[in-house]
Amino acid sequence: MDSQSPEPDTAVNGSTDAGPLAGSPSDFLKNIVGKRVKVRVGNGIDYHGLLTCLDGYMNVALEETEEWVNGHRVTTYGDCFLRGNNVLYISAMEDL
Amino acid sequence: MASTILPLELVDRCIGSPIHVIMKNEREFTGTLMGFDDYVIDMVLRDVKEYQVTPGGIIETPLGQTLLNGNNIVMLIPGGRGPKAI
Amino acid sequence: MEQVAAGTISEPLDLVKLSLGERVFIKLRGDRTLTGNLHAYDAHMNLVLSQVEENIHIVDVGEDGTAAPPRIERRGFEMLFIRGDSVILVSPLLE
Repeated sequence: MDSQSPEPDTAVNGSTDAGPLAGSPSDFLKNIVGKRVKVRVGNGIDYHGLLTCLDGYMNVALEETEEWVNGHRVTTYGDCFLRGNNVLYISAMEDL
Repeated sequence: MASTILPLELVDRCIGSPIHVIMKNEREFTGTLMGFDDYVIDMVLRDVKEYQVTPGGIIETPLGQTLLNGNNIVMLIPGGRGPKAI
Repeated sequence: MEQVAAGTISEPLDLVKLSLGERVFIKLRGDRTLTGNLHAYDAHMNLVLSQVEENIHIVDVGEDGTAAPPRIERRGFEMLFIRGDSVILVSPLLE
């Protein structure tokens, strides 16, 4: 069985830019740094904060972090590291 | 040969269209697919709705542009409008 | 190392690097939290902490959903290794 080469993916998107494809996860990651985000972890707890940086594992560093449980803010952290395996999604709380 | 389509080609054809995502747990998402990676199928969605399916009903949460971790995705339904439309 | 000296964070693990030697708050799977001095970490987020206080949050859930006040069981450890896959969150405690 031949494995799928990456070409069709890029061809369909038809991006001519040198950077990551518009709308791709890496493009999203590039644009979201420094923005206010909501990070949901697997157990339903949300972390709202300013996204300092993230990596390919979805490890996340946040500033001015607020921990939200069931719609209530329960704790705040100055800085906070979230391990990527627990991250369900990273959602922008402002326009990118 | 000509009629075969690879799974990820199907996902690629969904870009720009609505999609319904079903996770391992009682959680589902709908949104417009902006892009994905072909490693664990992390995907970027816009105009997102998150659905938590509970015994008492479906709790719906609107979200902005969202990067969804592919590790917990079970199923993708191209064109799907969400659990309430099924 | 230069970036640490400058106090900048360019990847998430840098935040953990900056917390070496500091007192940190750790959240683990299974409703456990830890406070301790961070001695070491690796890319898996395996951690070594000293002077650790572990808090296990136990909620006895009633039928009506309004749970009884959470009980917290506390334990102390002089030195602790934590396997990275159970780590949810690491946050340096503000002085």
